[in-house]
Parts: sequence; C-alpha cells; structure tokens
Amino acid sequence: MIINNSNRKNLLEIRDLSIDFNTDEGIVHAVDNLSLSIRPGEVMGLVGGSGSGKSITAKSIMRMAPNNAIIQPASKITLNYQDQAVNVLKLRGRDLRLVRGGAVSMIFQEPMASFAPAIRISDQIIQTMQIHLGYSKDQARREGIALFERVGIVDPEKRFDQYVFELSGGMRQRAMIAMALSTKPKLLIADEPTTALDVTIQAQVLDLMMELREQFGMAMLFITHDLGVVSKIADNVTVMQCGKVVEVGSADQVLYQPKHSYTKCLLDALPHLDNLPEAPTHTPEPLLSITNLSISYPISVSGRKTELFKAVNNISLDLPKGQIIGLVGESGSGKTSLGKAMLGAAPISSGTVEYHHTKKKVKFGAGKAIKRKRLARTAQLVFQDPYSSLNPRMTVRDIIAEPLEAMKLTKNREETDRRVIEVAKRCHIEVEHLRRFPHAFSGGQRQRISIARALVCDPQFIVADEAVAALDVSIQDEILKLLKELKEELGLTILFISHDLSVIANLCDWVCVMKQGEIVEQGSVRQIFLDPQQAYTQKLISSIPLLTTPGKSVQGATVLKHSA
Amino acid sequence: MFIQFLADTWLLWILLSIGGLLWWSGRASQYFNYVFRRYLLALMTLLLVSGIVFSLMEVMPGDCAEKYIAYKNTQGEIITQADIQAERVRMGLDKSLPERWGRWITNLTLRGDLGFSCAKRQTVNLALGNRFWVSFMFCIAGLIFSYLIAVPFGIFSAFTINKPWVEKNPQYSKMEKLFSTVLLSLQKILDLLLRIISYLGLALPNFLLALTIILLYVFAGEPMPTGLFSDQWRNVPWFGNNGFEVEKLYDFLSHIWLPIFVIGWSATALQLQTVRALVVDESNKLYVDAARARGVEGVSLWVGYPVRHSISPLFNSIGFDFQRIFNDLPIVAIVIGLTDSAALLIEALAMTSDQELAAAILFLVALVVISMNFITDVVLAAVDPRVRKSVLGNG
Amino acid sequence: MSVILARFGRKSKQKKNDESYYTAGQLALIKGRFKKKKSGVIAAWVLGTLVFMGFFAPFFSPIDPTIRGADADYRRGAPQVLHFWDENGFSARPFSYTYTKEKSKIDIKTLMSGGLDALDAFISSGALSSSSQNKFNVDKNERRDIQFFVQGWEYSLLDLSVGELDLDIRWDRHLFGVDQGQIHLMGTDEDGKDIFSRTLHAIWVTLSIAIVALVVKLFTSLLVGGISGYFGGRIDTVLMSITEAVRVIPAIPIYLACAVALAQFDLTPIQRYFAIAVIIGALDFATLARRLRTHILTERNQDYILAAQLCGSSTWRIIWRHLIPSFSSYIIVDTLINFPYVILAETSLSFLGLGLTEPVNSLGVLLQKAQDPDIQQNMVWQFFPLLVFVFMIMAFVFVGDALRDAADPYSEKK
Repeated sequence: MIINNSNRKNLLEIRDLSIDFNTDEGIVHAVDNLSLSIRPGEVMGLVGGSGSGKSITAKSIMRMAPNNAIIQPASKITLNYQDQAVNVLKLRGRDLRLVRGGAVSMIFQEPMASFAPAIRISDQIIQTMQIHLGYSKDQARREGIALFERVGIVDPEKRFDQYVFELSGGMRQRAMIAMALSTKPKLLIADEPTTALDVTIQAQVLDLMMELREQFGMAMLFITHDLGVVSKIADNVTVMQCGKVVEVGSADQVLYQPKHSYTKCLLDALPHLDNLPEAPTHTPEPLLSITNLSISYPISVSGRKTELFKAVNNISLDLPKGQIIGLVGESGSGKTSLGKAMLGAAPISSGTVEYHHTKKKVKFGAGKAIKRKRLARTAQLVFQDPYSSLNPRMTVRDIIAEPLEAMKLTKNREETDRRVIEVAKRCHIEVEHLRRFPHAFSGGQRQRISIARALVCDPQFIVADEAVAALDVSIQDEILKLLKELKEELGLTILFISHDLSVIANLCDWVCVMKQGEIVEQGSVRQIFLDPQQAYTQKLISSIPLLTTPGKSVQGATVLKHSA
Repeated sequence: MFIQFLADTWLLWILLSIGGLLWWSGRASQYFNYVFRRYLLALMTLLLVSGIVFSLMEVMPGDCAEKYIAYKNTQGEIITQADIQAERVRMGLDKSLPERWGRWITNLTLRGDLGFSCAKRQTVNLALGNRFWVSFMFCIAGLIFSYLIAVPFGIFSAFTINKPWVEKNPQYSKMEKLFSTVLLSLQKILDLLLRIISYLGLALPNFLLALTIILLYVFAGEPMPTGLFSDQWRNVPWFGNNGFEVEKLYDFLSHIWLPIFVIGWSATALQLQTVRALVVDESNKLYVDAARARGVEGVSLWVGYPVRHSISPLFNSIGFDFQRIFNDLPIVAIVIGLTDSAALLIEALAMTSDQELAAAILFLVALVVISMNFITDVVLAAVDPRVRKSVLGNG
Repeated sequence: MSVILARFGRKSKQKKNDESYYTAGQLALIKGRFKKKKSGVIAAWVLGTLVFMGFFAPFFSPIDPTIRGADADYRRGAPQVLHFWDENGFSARPFSYTYTKEKSKIDIKTLMSGGLDALDAFISSGALSSSSQNKFNVDKNERRDIQFFVQGWEYSLLDLSVGELDLDIRWDRHLFGVDQGQIHLMGTDEDGKDIFSRTLHAIWVTLSIAIVALVVKLFTSLLVGGISGYFGGRIDTVLMSITEAVRVIPAIPIYLACAVALAQFDLTPIQRYFAIAVIIGALDFATLARRLRTHILTERNQDYILAAQLCGSSTWRIIWRHLIPSFSSYIIVDTLINFPYVILAETSLSFLGLGLTEPVNSLGVLLQKAQDPDIQQNMVWQFFPLLVFVFMIMAFVFVGDALRDAADPYSEKK
C-alpha cells in the first residue's frame, strides 16, 4: 500500500463546509462545518449512515449539489491541480469541467442507472474522452477498449459497443470504473460503489479498485457505510454522523481504537467470527419440514411464448424449532422464493411443506390447497421494503390489527385493541403512535410495525426477508436485537433471509447456504463461518470484508487459505 | 378472367403477401417475429373497429332503401310500401347486421371497396375521393405544426424547472448574482407564459379559437379568409398558360395558415405539456447527473441525454395525436368553412344520415391511427434499445 | 440573516413534531400539500365562486333567463354599464340609466299611401339593416339605482323533493336589481333575454351534464378496468382489445352519431339532456379504464397486498379495504382533471346543434349562437359566455393539476 506521509500539498482540501437544504419543511442542515483533506494518492474512507451528509459532500466537490442546497459562504473547497490552488466553489461555466471529469471523477452506486439506457456505452466513454483529452474518435475508441480490458471485462471489443442493460451487475460496475478512469483523474470519488453488488463480486471489484489505484496513482474518496469495506481499502477514515465529522484518523486508529460511540456501533455490526455462539449440544426437533420442494415461475421469453423458470430445485430441509435460521445466497439464488413458499406465497410445482406441532394440521404443496387461515396463524412474513409493505392509507393500529380482524380472532374491538397494544409494547412501539399513519415513521420504526403485525396472531414461525437490508447500520442493530429478544421470550422460530453475511453471523444459530435454487450447505454458524466444507461456501465466506489486523487475523488466515 | 379475378381481390393479396413475408422473415429473426405479431394485432384491431363503427351506424335513423325511394318520390314516381321492401331486398338490407357487416368487410378486404353512399348516389370511394386526402393532409400539417412549436418550447420549458427565480449561491459576487438572477427570471417568465398558453389550449378549444379569430377579423373590418382559395383563384388551374401560377400559391398560403393554426392549436398546447413532462422526467434521472459529472454540459447534455431519451415516447404518441386532431376537425371545418371529408362526415352524420359514408370515414381515420401506431411501434423496436428489450426480451 | 434562517429551521421542526401531521390521513395530507400551491388555491377559489354562482343562479341573476323574463323593450341591447358618478354627481350606490328604443323614423301612413319615394327613403335610411335595430337612447337624467335583495320572479332555491318528500325551498329575492325597469349587465339577445342571467344558469346546466357524464364514465371505467385488472388473463386480453379499438375511433363523430340517433326519439329536453350525458360518459371509458387497469395491476403487486393476503384476508376484504382506498384519491383527481374534457364534449355537441338546443341554457347552446355573423358584427356582448367558459375551464385545469401533484401518495416517501 502506498501511504503517502510526505509533506506535499494536499490534493483536495475542504474547510468548514456547511450545506443547508431549503425544503418544504424549512431549512435542513445537511452538512455542518466539515473539514477534510486528501493527499495525492491517498485513499480516504468516508463512512456514515444514510442522511449523514456524505453523498452531498461528494457532490459539492463536483459542484453537483441540487438547486435547493445552499453552500454557506464560509465554506471552502480547494483543489491543487498542476501547482495551482483552484477554488472549486467559485468555478463557473467551462472551468467546471476540471472538477467534473477533468481532475475528479465519480463512480456511482447504481451503474445501471448511471449509464444512459439508450446510448451505447462506447459512445458515452468516447464523448467523455473527447471532452477532456481531445482525442480523435478512433484514438478514444482504442483507449476505451484498452481500459475495458484493464478493468477485467471479458471480450472488451464486443462489450464496449453494448448497451448497459446487456451487461451483468459486476460488468456494469467495471464499465463504470472504466468510464471514471477514462479521463485520467487525480481524484476518484466512489459513492457506495459495491453496496448493490453480491459479496463475491464486491470482493472482486474492491481488489480491482486497489490495483488500479496503484497503477494510476490517484487519490480516492471512498464513501460507504460498511467499515469492513473501508478496512480493506482505505488509508485514512473519516466518520460522519448527522452532517458532522465525529472521528478522523488513520484506518488502523479508527478501526482498532475507536473513540466515538457511533464508530463503535458501526464496528459492532461487522461479523465477529471469533465470538460465534457455540452450536447447541442437541439438535432441536424440526418445526417444519420441506420435502422435494420445487418452485417454478412462468417467464415470457419472447412475446407469447412462456417458459418455466425454476427458482428452487428439489429442496428438502428441516428447520429446527426455536432457532434463528439464516438463509444466505447471492441474488437470484432462489432464497426469497423458498421463504415465500413456506408461507404459501410462491407457486410450488412439486413437493410439500409441513408444519409440525400445530393445533390443526398445516400441510400444503403441489396440488394441495393451502388452508390460508390456518397457515396465517402459524407463520408470518416480515418484508424487505418497509415502505411498500405498509398500506399508507391505514393507521398503525389498523395495520397491526389486520390479521386479527381479517381472521376474526378476537371477540370485540376492545380485545383487538388490547392485543394490538400488547404486541406494540413488545416491539417497542409507543402506544400513542398507534393513531398515526405510516408516513410519519422512519424505516426502522416501520419495520417494527411490520414485525408487530406479524406477531399479533401469535405465530410460531416468522420469515424475515432481507428485513434489515434497507436500514442503516445502527437501526439494523436495534431490529436484530428485537428479533433475538422475540426468539428468546416467545420461543419463536425465525427464518432470516439475507445476502449480508455479517448480519447472519451476528444473528443466526443455524445457517443454510443457497446457490442457484439448491441448498449447498447447512450447519451451525460456527461450522459455516469457520469451517466451510463446500467450495462455494468457502468462496462466499472469504469474500466477507472483515477487519484484518496482523495480530488478530486467526480467522482471516484460515479464510485466506481456503480462498487460495 | 384471371386478371379480372386479381383486380377484384387485389387488396387481399397485398395484405396476405405482407403477412406472409413477415411470417417468413419472422422464423429466423426475433424482430420480424415481433413485427409479424404486431401486424396481426393491427389487423385484429381494425376488424374490431369496423365492427364497432358498423353497428354504431345501425342506430342511425332510416336506411338506404327509404332514402332512395324518397329520392325517386321527388322525381314524381308513386311509391308503395312494396317498392321499398323490394328495394331493400335488392340492396341486401333485409339481411341481419352480421351478414351485412360480413359483406362489407369482405368487399373491403378484397378490393378496398368502402360501400355505397345513398345520399350521394355513388360509391363511397368516389364520393370521398380527394377529400379524404385533403383532410389527411390537414391533420398532418396540423400535427407537424404542433410538433414544430411544442417540441422546442416544451424542451425549453423543461429546462427551467427546478431552477430558482433568484440566484442565491453565496459564493458568487454581487454582480454575478444580479446577472444570473436576471437571466433566471427571464427564463422563468417565458416558462410561465408557455404554461399559460398550454392551459389555454384546453380552455379555448379549436372551434372557439376559430370564433375568436373570426371576431378579430370582424373588429379589424377585414374579410375572413375562409376556404382554401379566394374566389378569383378557386377555379384557376395550378399550371396555367404562363406556367406555374405563383400568385395562386400565394393565395393558397395566405388561406392555409388559418386552418392549420386552428387545427394544430389544441394539439400544440397538449404537446407542450407532454414534452415538458417527459423531458423533466428524464432529466431527473441519475444518468443525466452522471453525464454532468463527466463534464458534459449545455446543449450537448440536454439534447444528448434527456431529450434524446424522451423522443421515443413522444414519437409513440403520434397516432393518437392524429386522432385527436381529426376529432376536432369536423367542428373547425364548419366554423371556417372547409369542404373536406370532415365536413362531409358531419353532413353524412347530421344531415343526410348516410350510414355507409360516415362509417367509411370513421373507419379510414381509425385505419390511419392504427397504421401509425403500427409503424411507430415497429420503428421504435428497431431504433430504441429500451423498447427492443421490452418487446423482444433480451435477445 | 442566519438568525432568521435558524429560527425558520426551528419553527419548521416544531411543525414536524405536531401530532396532527402524524395522525393526518391521506386526504388531510393531500389538502396540506394542495394548499402550498398558490396557483391551485387561487384557481380553486375562482372555480368555487363560479360553481356557487352557477348553482344558485336564480338568486344571482336579476332577470328570469327564460322567454318569460325577456325584455321586449330592450332586444339586442348592449351591456348597461354601472356608474358611480356622472355629470349629475356622485352616488355611493351604483346606477345605470334608462334606455329607450329609438323609434324608427318612418311614417307608416306615407308608406301606406304608397309613396315610392317614402319607401326609398325608408330603405336608404338604413332602418332595416340589423345594426340599426339596436340603437337606444340613454336618458342620463333618469338613473336606475342598484338595489340589493330585491323582490323578483319566484324560483326554487333548493329542490330536494324526492318521491313523497316535498322539500322545495322557494324564494323570490335576488342579489341585485334596479328599482324600475331591468338591468342588463351583459346586454340582451335578439329576444331580449338577459345574457348575464342566461350565462349563470348555463354554468350549472353544463356542469350537471358533466357530473352525470363523469359518474357514468367512472362506472363503466371501473367495471371494465376493474374486471380486466383484477382477473387478468383472457378476459383482460378481450376487454383491452375492445378498449383499444374504441380508443382509436375519434370520439366526437361517435357522439354525433348517437346524438343523431337520439333525434328520432321524441324526447323532452330533460330526457335528451340526460341521454346526452350518459352517451358522453359511457363512450369515454377507454382512457380511464386502461389507467385503472394498470393501477390495479401495479397495486396488486405491492407488498402490502401480499401482506394482507398472508394475514389471512379474504379477496373481498383486500378489494374493499386495500385496493379501493388505494385508488379512490386517484379517481377523484382524475375525475376533476377530466371535467374540462367532458364539458368540451357537451359544448362541441351543442355547438353543432346536436346536443342541447334553444331555449335550454347551456354554455354550448350560448356558444353556438356566436357563430352567427349577425352576432359577431352587431352583438359582441354575446361572446360573454365564451369568456366565462374559458375562465371556468382554466380554473378546472389549474385545480386539477395542483391536485394531481398533491395526491401522489409517495411524494414524501424519501
């Protein structure tokens, strides 16, 4: 790693940056007195939750702040470019190109949305090169293809002329990186470049970025909410919370001797592989059994013709009672379909699902009708999206009471209210809030409402489908705590579906790994994370961005051994 | 004999050969497969339209036989009920509705025969003749007019959205702020004006606009340029003894602007809103920001990104824009005194209740709209990768 | 400056903490957002005033708009301007003057006696040309003072009679009038009917046609779109191809055909009026039905619908508690946006003489008269309904636009 400790001038210097937003509800302070400096060749990690002001900071470096943003007069952003100090905030017109592609480039979180959908990637890259480097079309084309090769895109000549939707997720991000590098910038701003990617691809992209950074010798401002990623790539780290910098320092300092509570909270969210729970001595009896389950969706191939797409292929599985079971897999592995099938919400083409120890028999499968009400009292779902899963036109009380009223489980309104209040208290929802509508709540609170709705009819089993994926780390933590609490107090069995291995490691007792519609491996958390047997699991585990320090990397070392 | 057979069935052969060609190409290429299916869909819709139009005409009072007999009556012949019945049988009007519709549609698909106009006492094809083309050209001219005005101004209007009236960036000096504020205000005022015009387009529909213009002419004390030519030029051929009559062209142009302006007016206003909304939608997308972050700016940013991406949906609506323009045409035609097929339609519907003529005109308009929709769909699938992906899958 | 800003910030925060914001239902939220749009609020007031005046038209009009109220002495009369002062002095009460028709200068007797010269003189004097028919003498010394709440013709203010229940509130007071004679703010037509009163009455007639048409339209659209969207599959395909075919045919000619078909029945004006409204509504379902279908399709795939299913809700409960509320605000907004179009359809029909006809007062009927060259040249004031029409539609469009933005339930999502 190049850690540039010389006294050379800073490449970028931000002093007292304050940004306010002029919204309908009045002025909102987005960034408050932020100061930050980046030396040439340095990788600065900018860490914070959503709404912490990290993205708007990056945008204001490129002078791309939205129109309702007010950058306070005391703020200064200076870019040292070719021995000249440029006041970025005073740039106008054509000079803006210096920070927009010229010396500074940006990688966005969603590569799919950052390329114009109806223009070939090649044309967009060539246009950029022509603007900044004055290349001829042919030269730009040659350079572009070379760059594509450099970022590891297979068959670059062909891919270069394709449209963005024709590439896979990982390829898109690589193309985005090639685009950002095409102008040979001195500073690369990467705004959550790997968040939307699967963990194995995330690892590849991070490796690529490290490699390129050494080759091009550019500085990087790496924005993320994940300290694990930061530990892999950053030299220095700045932690932001609510528009304020709460901690600055070298990566080692911040990661291993955190001072601020928020940093500690972020660190807690990382998987603690040295502190995994012991596997229980005896395997509990199964709550539900899945036998030879397959799920197929009809997809339209072209026009009228439809084909069956097999999301889940012949799975047999027993879920142990009273545990939190993690279901891990990359996107498209069929984990959500499997979860929904257990609730009778996916088209089962063969096989059965059977719940044990229920008052009335609950068994369904291919050709066997679902007794919806019996099932609803046994098993419930907590959704991924806290926004679309709550009807915006109902009060929280009505939302939580929905199962009771729909199945007429209570005798009168008083009893319904009593049970709603009871379950709301259990999920730490204030009773006064029951009169409110969902729009009044933040994502984390909405997820609590969603959980309360699932619990109100006393089910034995809950499927939580990526239930914390849309939430910030600190709020994630609260929801996970709540789930653990519920498991212990109510003896609930929870199937926790996630692509995020760190969450799984911190929460679950038992883990199943899925790949392309099949269960690859299952076992206790310890087994899966510390001693994975299958090659796929090993690859997955080794891709987790863990904190690796020379002294403590016992697990890291084993992981590395497997990945090699 | 064979030639006669071909001449009687020429349209069917054209339709069949187009279909066959598309089907044959569609076996190998996914795109032509789509075109073929789209072609079948268009024919299906046409069939449905003809059915709806034909049964609609059934509710109109009177039938051809009665009218014919009434006509003969005026010639001094004495007619009995039996004569009417005989005439009905001769014209095939005693058959049931599906039967007559079947015959009509068969004649149409075989040789483009649109039926017989009882009021005009000639075939519909003859009675319509050029007039349909005149209205068609009117609508197209109105369409072009509306696009020519609406697209640039709509884009401009979209360009000003999200911009403040006053420059507030505290980093700028006073002079810079003042200059910028004046520029912004000018843009916003123009935008406001455009928006009011676009609302007026709805509140002051075409026929009322025509009335207003007439009123203005009355106030100015000048004669209103009705029709397409002044009286002195109406019957002068385009190519007279002195070669091409340039004067006639001038006369024509001085008359033609009014109907085109009036016909295009509401469409322009509506189009202004559509273009604005489309471009605004696109310009809020992330890829525009990404392009800006690469240093693309000004005209090349706007034209190259949001505008380019909103062309497809705009192009896609041409068929229905045409229909909307034709919708207003009959009333406008009456107000400013045109004698095209729209006026004929009113005549056929309201005065002579000439069912087959009215049905034919409606059917032809629907035919134009459906073919336009077909063409835009097919062209877009070839040109726009997003559309191609959605209709062809990932191939 | 910054102090003010800071205060602003705090104030807004307090506002956010207000419990009423959190417990506000969708309608209250829409209302709140709507109030932020100035143009919409102004338009809403204009519209409200117009509709109110239209609904209580008899109260606001000084003169009976039917032939009974026609002013035989003031046919083709120009608008009578209200004055506050003239050379005779100032008056706090606005007044107009007494108008008397200019007597034609011909001597009937000489004409009768057959003098050709007299006939010549009569023709050349221009007494026969229409422009001379509305010449009036103004007697500035005879003021007609405006009075408020004057007694006039009796009318039914609010007719709530349904079946047996007889609840017809009748009144004979009018907002304003003059002490003697009549006042014609916007002049009169060739029968001497007051244009101002006719226009006010026409507003409500046109609006009520639009309301009936929209209700019918809503019903058909809901039926077609709902069935299509909820059941999907083959039903959807069939219904949607019919909708598509209807959408392709220009609407006004279809209305025309139906109106002509109506003409063969012997209908009273009232029946005719409802028949036209029903036709306009029933044939205009294509666009809304398609939108409702897409709306149902997208809404059906929302997570909260799945959540309700997994909670054991029955299909009817889902439709009733979740789906219908989900597009009720949407339908309200769409209906309001469609008002101008339906009004236009009615006006277009009446304009062609195929909708309502004289002596009914509807905006279309009044506008149709404006086609007459005589009116264009000699009675420009008969264009007053056009002005009212433009104002009303503009108000509708502005309100509809503002409401559409306000009703988007996810606009505050992120």
